[in-house]
Parts: sequence; C-alpha cells; structure tokens
Amino acid sequence: MADIESSFEFSSSLTSSSLPPPRTRIFKIIVIGDSGVGKTCLTYRFCAGKFPDKTEATIGVDFREKVIEIDGEKIKVQLWDTAGQERFRKSMVQHYYRNVHAVVFVYDVTNAASFRSLPAWIEECRQHALGQEVPRILVGNKCDLRHAAQVSTDVAQQFADTHSMPLFETSAKNPYGNEDGTQNNSDHVEAIFMTVAHKLKSQKPLVLSQPPCGYGDTVTLRRQDQEDGGNWGCGCWRS
Amino acid sequence: MNLKRSRSVGASPLNGVGKQDVESRRRKKMSEITQALSCRPVDVTALRRMAISEGGLMTDEIRRLVWPKLLNVSEENIPEELDPVDRENNKDFNQVLLDVQRSLRRFPPGMPDEQREGLQEEPTDIILRVLVKNPQLHYYQGYHDIVVTFLLVLGERLATALVEKLSTHHLRDFMDPTMDNTKHILNYLMPIIERVNPEVFDFMQQAEVGTIFALSWLITWFGHVLSDFRHVVRLYDFFLACHPLMPIYFAAVIVLHREEEVLDCECDMAMMHHLLSRIPEDLPYETLISRAGDLFVQFPPSELARERSQQTAVSTFKDFELASTQQRPDVVLRQRRKEQQQRTLEAQRGTVAVVQPTARRFMRLAVMGLTVALGAAALAVVNSALEWAPKLDLLFP
Repeated sequence: MADIESSFEFSSSLTSSSLPPPRTRIFKIIVIGDSGVGKTCLTYRFCAGKFPDKTEATIGVDFREKVIEIDGEKIKVQLWDTAGQERFRKSMVQHYYRNVHAVVFVYDVTNAASFRSLPAWIEECRQHALGQEVPRILVGNKCDLRHAAQVSTDVAQQFADTHSMPLFETSAKNPYGNEDGTQNNSDHVEAIFMTVAHKLKSQKPLVLSQPPCGYGDTVTLRRQDQEDGGNWGCGCWRS
Repeated sequence: MNLKRSRSVGASPLNGVGKQDVESRRRKKMSEITQALSCRPVDVTALRRMAISEGGLMTDEIRRLVWPKLLNVSEENIPEELDPVDRENNKDFNQVLLDVQRSLRRFPPGMPDEQREGLQEEPTDIILRVLVKNPQLHYYQGYHDIVVTFLLVLGERLATALVEKLSTHHLRDFMDPTMDNTKHILNYLMPIIERVNPEVFDFMQQAEVGTIFALSWLITWFGHVLSDFRHVVRLYDFFLACHPLMPIYFAAVIVLHREEEVLDCECDMAMMHHLLSRIPEDLPYETLISRAGDLFVQFPPSELARERSQQTAVSTFKDFELASTQQRPDVVLRQRRKEQQQRTLEAQRGTVAVVQPTARRFMRLAVMGLTVALGAAALAVVNSALEWAPKLDLLFP
C-alpha cells in the first residue's frame, strides 16, 4: 500500500520544474474492467513510472495522477482506478463517471471471461452518457503470458474495430519478476495513456470541466507522428 | 495538529509518569478480564467495557477468549471438524481466491512461506463455508480482509464460527445482493461531520468528494487500509463491543481529526478523495476511539435516523442521495437560516432532511468533557450495543 501511495507524490513533483500555466488542464480518465485484469497495476505503472510490488483488491475507487507535457502544455492526467467486482460498479462507482473525458477498458488476455465482459462495460459507460464521442481505448493486459492466452489479438482487434477503439496489448508484468523496478518502455503503458492524452488535447471542445482561461485557443496543435488520426480506431500496439 | 498526533497508541496520558503505571494498569485490566470471564454467566457487559476502554483487549491471547463472548458464540457448540469445501462448484470461488491471493501483506512478514501458503488456503475455505451455509449472504471484495484478521487472531475453527456470526449481524447489510444498504450506511457519515464541524462539512460538500473514500473503512472495519495489524485488532476489539454503526462514527472522527489537512486541501473532488482515502499511520487511536464513543452518545443513530421522514431507508435512499448532492454551500447556508421552513418542506416531500438544530453546533466542548470521563460514555455505548444485539437475533434468527 505504501508503494501505491508514493505514485502520487512522485508524479506531483514533476509539476514544479517550470512555471505552470495560469491553470493546468485536467484530463480525467476512468479505467474499468473485470476484477483482477490489472487496472491498479496499469495506472500505478503510468503514474509512478514503475510496477507496484504488489497490488490488492481495489475497494471502491482509487485515484492517481501524473503531470505530462504535450506541445509545451502541462496537463494533469487523472486516472480513476475502479473496483472490478460487479456489486461495486452497480451502486458505488457512478459518482466517478461524472465529467470523465476518456475511458480505458481493460481485459486480461489470459482470461476469456474478462474479454466477454467488455460489452457490459461498454453498456455501463453508455448509461453514464459516455458513448462513442468520448475517446475510449481497449487494453489487453498480461500479454507476456502468451502461452496462457485465451483471447487472440485478431479477435480483440475485431472487437476494437467494431467499437471504434484502438487496441493495445501490454503487460503490467508480474510484479515479483521486476526486481529493479526501473522503467521499461517496451510495455507501452506510457504510450497507452499518452495516446489518450493527445487525443483529448486535439479534441478541445470535449474538455469542459477545466476552462482553459483562453490560452488554449492560441496554441497551435502539433501532434506527434505516432498517432495521427488514421490510427485512431484501428491501431494495435503489441509488446 | 502535531500535539494531537504525538501521542502514540496506548501511551499513558500522564506523560512521563512511567512504565510502571502503564504496567500496573495493564495488570489490573488483565485481572478484571479474567474475573469477568470466570463469572457464570460470563459478565459480557464488563468485557465490552474492557474492549472499548484504553488499550482494548491488549493481546491476541485475550482476544481468543473474549471475542467469542462479545459475539455470543459458545465454543462448545462449534463442531470439531469443519465442513468440507467444494471449491469447484462455487460461484464465488474465483473472486475469493483472487482477493485472498492478493492479500499477502496481511500475513506477518517473518512467516515461513509454507505456513503462509497454508494460511492462504484457510481464508478462502472460511469464506466459502460461510457463503454456502448462508445462501442469503453475498461476497464482497473487502470481506476477505475481515476474514484474514479473524483467522490470524483465532485460527480457522474459531474464526469460521465468529465470521459466520458477524456476517449475519454486523456485516449483514454489506452482504445484500446489492450495495444499496451499504451506501445508505455511508450516508450517516456527513451528518455526523456536519454536527461537529460545519466548516469541514461545507468544504467537503463543496468539493463534492462523496463518501466512497470511507467505503473500504466501513466494510473491512479498517482492515484494508491500516498496515499495522496491532491497530486493526485494537479497532476490532472496539467494533465487536459496539453497535454495528460504530465504524461510521470512527470514520467521521478520523475526518474530523484531520480538520486542518482537509481545509488546506484543494477544494476538488480528486484531491480530497486522495487525501482522505489514505489514513495516516500515526493516528492517536485511543483518543479517537473514545471520541467516536462520545459522538455515538451525543448523536445516536436513532437521532440521525429520526430526521428522515421515512424509516424505510432503502426506498428513500435515492431521494437522500439527491438531497445530499444538491447541498452546495450556498444551498446549505440558506437551509440553515430557513431551517424550520425547510424541515416542513422536506417532510411534505417525503425526502430526507440532513439539516440539524443549530444548537448542536455549539456542543463540541461538551463532547470533549465526556472524553475525560470515558467510563460514562463507554457505558452508554455498551448499553446501546446490548440493546441492539438481541433485536438482531430476532431479525436474523
């Protein structure tokens, strides 16, 4: 638990490096999926830059954040890590769907049931007025366990295409195997959330909760080559 | 703030008077407990008082003797052989296993791997056994934290019996098919905070922080969030001796204790949720326990519930939620001025009023007075627990 907590402190220290803009924009992203697919691992990995030693069941909702920079603008990415058990989703988590800018759906490639649950999660979002207009991405986690995979990339890609989402396969790696705890970029965790952030930045009208106080209109948008528009909805990054 | 925090768990309030005093009080308590246990019938009221008062039940050895009495479980009636568990055909098995496997850190760090692995099987078996025997109960994530705590203190056989009793009583609401009742119980939190510190209440309402930060506190009796096992079992002593809503009072007391941090926090849902959901390790548990007892006496659940125009909690829950979320600061302030008016209005609408008498706001000092004379508060708390217990036996025979 102590390790998890440190992710917050770690990321907020990034804010002090230069003069902040009048008001930092906030991108609020909710991470959902079945119990045990690795939502806590993914969000921790992104915010703290390393994998957690161990994770426990998330009860209710956990929150982590990280300040990133896109085209010279500092942006706060807030990740809401939710409990996977159905009973929590039914009555506890609604509060946290409010003002969400993007959704990350997570399934476990070694657990077909977690993939079969995705339509229910998508429906859940729809009920909270988070439809196709909200950037959504699909993440197949634990792809390091190829031998145990139950969900093929092809099937997942097809599903992602049907729902106009980009698909990422990643590995929030066995935390015990990661002795040095250092950052490993090959897992694409960074890319997953940065893709969402870029997408959000390019869709300014959707970002309503934090008025950018005018400065947003004057910024010329330059997106990095890795995710020009064409990739949205059909890309797949594999480890 | 620092002053409040510098007192460690179980420390003598007479700072510096020395170990001897602490040790003699400890011995006195031990002998009182032994005496209460040897009475026929066992003096449960005295045991409850011991479990609540400073230091609680002190050792796991005493807990093994007293916890069953607090839950009215008689050891003679527990079968020697535990029921076998059919893991394969159990709908909850996968979820339970997943949660138990991830709760490794609960086990003492020095424990050999083999023992640890064995102990990991036991919580799973206990949970499945209780669920199979009581099909009306539904597993929730966090239940495993409670079971692990009981297992580590009591061993599998005794833990199974106590967890079953607890599940049909204290934890019953959390084990409904849905979490609506749990949410309803969480809704007691803000009214308690409002009564003691309206400023903190207003600030939290303004941030729209909600109450989910306290969800794991409530449904695991803080077992999920506290990392020091000694603090967890101390709180279990307290909660086992009290009314099942006591964890909510304790949650309120923690928030109130962190008043300065809360008011210094950015008035934003995310920031405040983050701040509140992490509990500082160095809380003055004994002080907070007695304060929770005070608040329970001052603002008993019946009083909080009386403000609701309907007692059928579940049916009015949605209205209550709506009323709570609409209580932005300006609304709250207006409501205070028009308190009487508002009450009538609420009653007419059949919704739930969270407004309270202004006089209550000035009772903080009186509350502190009770803390000094812990005995009085403890007795009232004990009595309410005793009143409550037989009723539930009728409800859930």
